[in-house]
Amino acid sequence: MIAGRGLRFARTAARYTVLLLVALFFLLPIWWLLVASIRPTAETFRSSSEFGLATLWPSVVTFDHYARVFAGVLPRAVANSLFVALSTVVAGILVCSLAGFAFAVFEFPLKRPLFALVLLTFMMPFESIVIPLYVLIRALEWSNTYWALILPEVASGLVIFLFRQFFAGIPKELYEAARVDGASWFQIWWRLTLPLSGPVVAAGALVLFVHQWDAFFWPLVAAPSAELVTVQVAIARNVTLEVANWGELFASASTAILVAMIPFLLLQRWYVRTVGLASER
Amino acid sequence: MRRLTRRTGLSLGLAAAAGAALGRIADARTTTLRVVWMGWPDEQVVPLMDSFRKARPDIELAVEQIPFVQIFQTLEVRLGARTADPDIFICDSPLTASYAVRGHLLDLTPHIDAARFTKAAIDAASWQGKIYSAPFGSSMPVLFYNKALFREAGITPPEPDVTKRWTWEQLVEVAKKLTDPDKNRWGFSFEQQERPYMLLPLGQSLGGVALSPDGLKATGYVDGPAFVEAYSFMQKLYTEWKVSPPGLFDPNLPVEQFGNGRIAMLVAGTFNEATIRNKYPQIEFGVAPYPTFAAGKPVTPTGAWHIGVNPRTRHKDEALAFIDHFMSEELQILWFKLRPYPPVLRSVWEKEAATFATDMWRIVRYELDHTAVPRPATPGFREYEDILRVALRDITTGADVKATLTAAAQKIDRELQKYR
Amino acid sequence: MPAAPAPRSSSPSGFRVPLVVAFAFLAPALGLLFLFRVVPIAIALFGSLTGTKLTGETVFVGLANFRALVEDPSFWRSLEVTLVFNLVVNPLQIVCALALALLVRRPTRFVPAFRTAYIAPMTVSIALTSVLWAILLEPTAGPVNGLLRALGFAPQPFFRSEDQALASLVLLASWKGVGYWMLFLLAGLLRIPEELHEAAAIDGAGPLARFFRITLPLLRRPLGFVFVADTTANFLLFAPVYVITHGGPNGATSLLMFEAYQAAFTYLDQGRSLAISVLVLAILAATVTLQLRLFRERG
Repeated sequence: MIAGRGLRFARTAARYTVLLLVALFFLLPIWWLLVASIRPTAETFRSSSEFGLATLWPSVVTFDHYARVFAGVLPRAVANSLFVALSTVVAGILVCSLAGFAFAVFEFPLKRPLFALVLLTFMMPFESIVIPLYVLIRALEWSNTYWALILPEVASGLVIFLFRQFFAGIPKELYEAARVDGASWFQIWWRLTLPLSGPVVAAGALVLFVHQWDAFFWPLVAAPSAELVTVQVAIARNVTLEVANWGELFASASTAILVAMIPFLLLQRWYVRTVGLASER
Repeated sequence: MRRLTRRTGLSLGLAAAAGAALGRIADARTTTLRVVWMGWPDEQVVPLMDSFRKARPDIELAVEQIPFVQIFQTLEVRLGARTADPDIFICDSPLTASYAVRGHLLDLTPHIDAARFTKAAIDAASWQGKIYSAPFGSSMPVLFYNKALFREAGITPPEPDVTKRWTWEQLVEVAKKLTDPDKNRWGFSFEQQERPYMLLPLGQSLGGVALSPDGLKATGYVDGPAFVEAYSFMQKLYTEWKVSPPGLFDPNLPVEQFGNGRIAMLVAGTFNEATIRNKYPQIEFGVAPYPTFAAGKPVTPTGAWHIGVNPRTRHKDEALAFIDHFMSEELQILWFKLRPYPPVLRSVWEKEAATFATDMWRIVRYELDHTAVPRPATPGFREYEDILRVALRDITTGADVKATLTAAAQKIDRELQKYR
Repeated sequence: MPAAPAPRSSSPSGFRVPLVVAFAFLAPALGLLFLFRVVPIAIALFGSLTGTKLTGETVFVGLANFRALVEDPSFWRSLEVTLVFNLVVNPLQIVCALALALLVRRPTRFVPAFRTAYIAPMTVSIALTSVLWAILLEPTAGPVNGLLRALGFAPQPFFRSEDQALASLVLLASWKGVGYWMLFLLAGLLRIPEELHEAAAIDGAGPLARFFRITLPLLRRPLGFVFVADTTANFLLFAPVYVITHGGPNGATSLLMFEAYQAAFTYLDQGRSLAISVLVLAILAATVTLQLRLFRERG
């Protein structure tokens, strides 16, 4: 009995040791970046080649870098990117989950070729289609509008595929039962499938959010005007050929990371709740 | 449930309406010039644009500050679409020929009075006898050194005198004494460890020619004996003498290491003077001319940002007015004060004589008039630069110099085929 | 022994619905995809059969771009690098992601915080990830070599060595990717009812048996998604190569997508670039078809 408890303790300890080591691998680089954003640049590079406490802990804390980036385009850029990303998430979840549902649940002519086409859309490198896409946006007279940033990214082949995979795992009997109760397919999608798919919807939302939050090349091409500046563009502006304002680069990058963490933390709650639901059922 | 779908429909409608309102942000005014500019800080851009707006209130400017890392790619897409957008764009001077042959630059010969500019600037702006880009700045590297480290080691530092220019051989001997691997201290580094801009003069100093006169052949030029000798020497900095830190991927990192006292001598652009002074006020540093080989002649690199006009612009007169304004003495002085690139207008050097009385600027002025060689004029400069850059990087990590240069030259020739 | 009746999946055929219903579900997404993806892709496919004159005119050249690639030894080198990279990075990331997902499946103490920690790199853009790791793995000034020195190891050249560059790229991609892929697998794991495991445990199935008999079969679809999406992401990855190695040293990291990007934006050869992209697409499509077949529901 005591041996059993000892064994269990050892296993828990081992599990948490692994969890912790892995967490360090993922977090230390981000930590280094955050620290670099609040220390003088000279110190960042002085401490980097001799690893020690000084590498991971600032001896002087300064918010100058933040003061400068917040006085510049960054606040505007964060607001723009949030607007673009959240609009894309809301529209994208609806549009993609509808399509994912159809591919998962329905049988219709040309289903397989259409699905193959959906897969193809996210396998073509974006850089190869950027010129035709730019010509199209200009023809629509959308350059330098939010439309140009949002609309091309709402329908995502990847997210449709994600939804299809998960929706197809929902037992067919549930749908049959709902149909017998007289529910329309729209009602089933909205009332049954989406609520049952909390973590997947959250994951899809993150995919769309991150995609827009990270967008860099397309905003420069399609909407480069000052009012529409996006967050990655604002970050990159801190580096020119002659001077890299490392402190400002790290400060604006840290801001982008911290703002983007918010949806992740919200998602965390969603996961926990879904687990609760699953065990109630 | 049915109510629910109606609500969804309603919110979609609202979203569309909101979007339509947003779409109007890009509303055009009477005449708007779309200007693609470098992503320099606002305080170095806005005053220039405001100066033009004040001079021409009838013309609106839509200025886009594109980050350096993506400016070439962004321009490729925008110009590649062959529309009237943008009207004006910032143009890296060695790319003048590349844009010109592809019809992305308006011939500015009638609008530029070449006599007003330094020769190096006009050379960099020209292709086949015509001026395609308006010179807006120049550049020149010098040798920065850390005075304290020289004192500590009891070594006489180089002098800020072009007649007493150090040779590379001399520099290496000193660099060896200043290198201390235990302290992670290095004797010397180039600011740009792999960019042809800073490294072509090594071969040119030994009599090498970087590219054929027609700008279309590299074999027999950049892989010739002068470049092989020069880059073998360069390679030894990393592999044999170990006086240079290998692998500083970004040209801004050596500057930080110089500021931290980890690099004793740094060949770097004039721009770094301000950077070091502001970021590392505790460091005491001196300036000397770009070194040369003992058996060679002094050669230095130059070239920087120019301004180009899209020939498809629908506002040609306004665009030319922009060029005229930006070529004016008043604006170029303002620009120098905002961002001190070596000026391209001769008169600015005279007008601001007090500013240019320092060691560094005296050296720079001499070099621009006597030793500066612009990068090779070729429509394929981007290809040339990129292929050579990768080759130079491989050389710093120990690749066979002759074989690497030969392979690079062949690759360049293949890419330049399309311009024949 | 069938451990417990797994929830029966829908047959691949699905429900027959009136065409108008299917259309209503599909129209928004397919309409947008058609306009913003399918049409540009069709143009790109055609573009791979063309060349661009200096004056901007496009000329039809047939398969000349592809022929030029096949005759170019550097293309074969890139192909090899791309395949080696993907054969290593994809299985590695998926195994790690699955292991992590299993590790954080049960929300015991602190586990929610660990989950967040693992997906944190998702918030760092790929361009920034590249710059960050370039600094971290910098041979002389980087903290990782600082750490190695402090621990008494010799500093490593990482991206600066022909032998280590591709491995460093795998490390970078995995730092950014493993938590991301874990997220989808975790979402799949959380849908497997706890009762199935309990029932199997009562029946005397050990953890390994439960994993292979219950978890893995029920994770088939999420795994299929992760295989496909991860493979795609890694085939299309090139930002770190652009930022850090530029294909070197000596071609060791010349991924095909990087070559395609270079062809378009540095060598100004759209035709070649599109031809490489089309080949990447073909390789990807073949790989993905294979993967989906592997994960297809049996019966």
